[in-house]
Amino acid sequence: MKITLSIPTINDRPDDFDTLFNLWNQVNSDSLDVTFDFSPCRFLRHNAVAFLGGLARLIESRSGNATFNWNTLQNNILTNLGQNGFLAAFKHGGDPWTGNSIPYREDKVLDKNSMMDYLKVKWLGRGWVHVSELLQNAIAGRVWEIYTNAFEHAQSPIGIFSCGQHYPRRKELQLTVADFGVGIPSNVRLFFSKDNRVQSFSAANCIKWAFLPGTTTKPNGTSRGMGLDLLKEFVKINKGKLEIFSHEGYALIDETQEIFMNRQTFFEGTLVNISFRCDESYYHFASEVPEEPLF
Amino acid sequence: MKLDIYELIGENCITMEDGQKIYDLIHPELLAGHPVALNFAKVGVYASPFFNAAIGQLLKDIKSEDLNRLLKVFNLVPAGLAVLKRVIENSKQYYSDENFRKAQDEVLLEQAENK
Repeated sequence: MKITLSIPTINDRPDDFDTLFNLWNQVNSDSLDVTFDFSPCRFLRHNAVAFLGGLARLIESRSGNATFNWNTLQNNILTNLGQNGFLAAFKHGGDPWTGNSIPYREDKVLDKNSMMDYLKVKWLGRGWVHVSELLQNAIAGRVWEIYTNAFEHAQSPIGIFSCGQHYPRRKELQLTVADFGVGIPSNVRLFFSKDNRVQSFSAANCIKWAFLPGTTTKPNGTSRGMGLDLLKEFVKINKGKLEIFSHEGYALIDETQEIFMNRQTFFEGTLVNISFRCDESYYHFASEVPEEPLF
Repeated sequence: MKLDIYELIGENCITMEDGQKIYDLIHPELLAGHPVALNFAKVGVYASPFFNAAIGQLLKDIKSEDLNRLLKVFNLVPAGLAVLKRVIENSKQYYSDENFRKAQDEVLLEQAENK
């Protein structure tokens, strides 16, 4: 079936994510010839870039064709997509160049060395984020938690899609990581499949459970947790924001609030949207020597 | 036993596989009551999968007081120490407190907010 997706202006408010998920809902397994038309689009934030890249790959993974009508894009958006590497990823235009974008990225496997090179050299080590190596390492470790969660739990056959933006005046980094896998609620419900109440577990509560310290959906193994409690602590300390969308579940965590709710729009995978300050003054590193017993 | 983690793993201690390597080395030593020292000098990045596998799962069959006595860590930067402390806290609850886990699971049955 041939369809045209009309891509409007997409920002990063909750209803913008509804817009993205509605696009995903329009694409089903019969949609083998999909055209992305950007005529109504005046702005495309990094979350949309990551998501649309993944959506195109999802269509391709079903042996379909995803066609971007590049000539419907406004010049400023086209330039931004060139800079962040989206155009190069879809064979339109040359290599990306350095700017305030955090490059568009597709990962089918999680390679420790490649990812750390990306985070520490191309991302945090570019001189645009004036932070110590200590803080760079701390940020790289927390961002790794997002990627490793996605790879360990999502079962996304097409991989993980990410893109971000740096806001120099606010000293803020924003990053979106999206997968098109089974979603957090599905993993949690599968883990509790022997519980006869499992069907009443809402998507929102499944995400809330995944944020609790020490929870894991891995049976009888080690206590792995999902690293989400560490991410929560991280954004609270540095006045950042963490949002997770999975199925109809939604989590919003910032310095002052933790909200878990069900929303109207369903998306089967998981999208993590995180922003944090790159400002040393928000980080209070304690003594390097453990003063008290560790265990 | 003294282990130089940088020599064994490198500057990024972030994966479960790398953590398991350390666990496989130190677990038999600790079970036998031998002291173990882990030197983290030159390690830069830390993440929970590494510590969950390397140290968190020690609590499955070794008591906290024994680990406090036998296992020492050195040159761990504050960001790494913060991750390790969280991992230990989680593991202690996971392995020792079934009631805690049951209480956590009650979250799943709460009335969800809807928008």
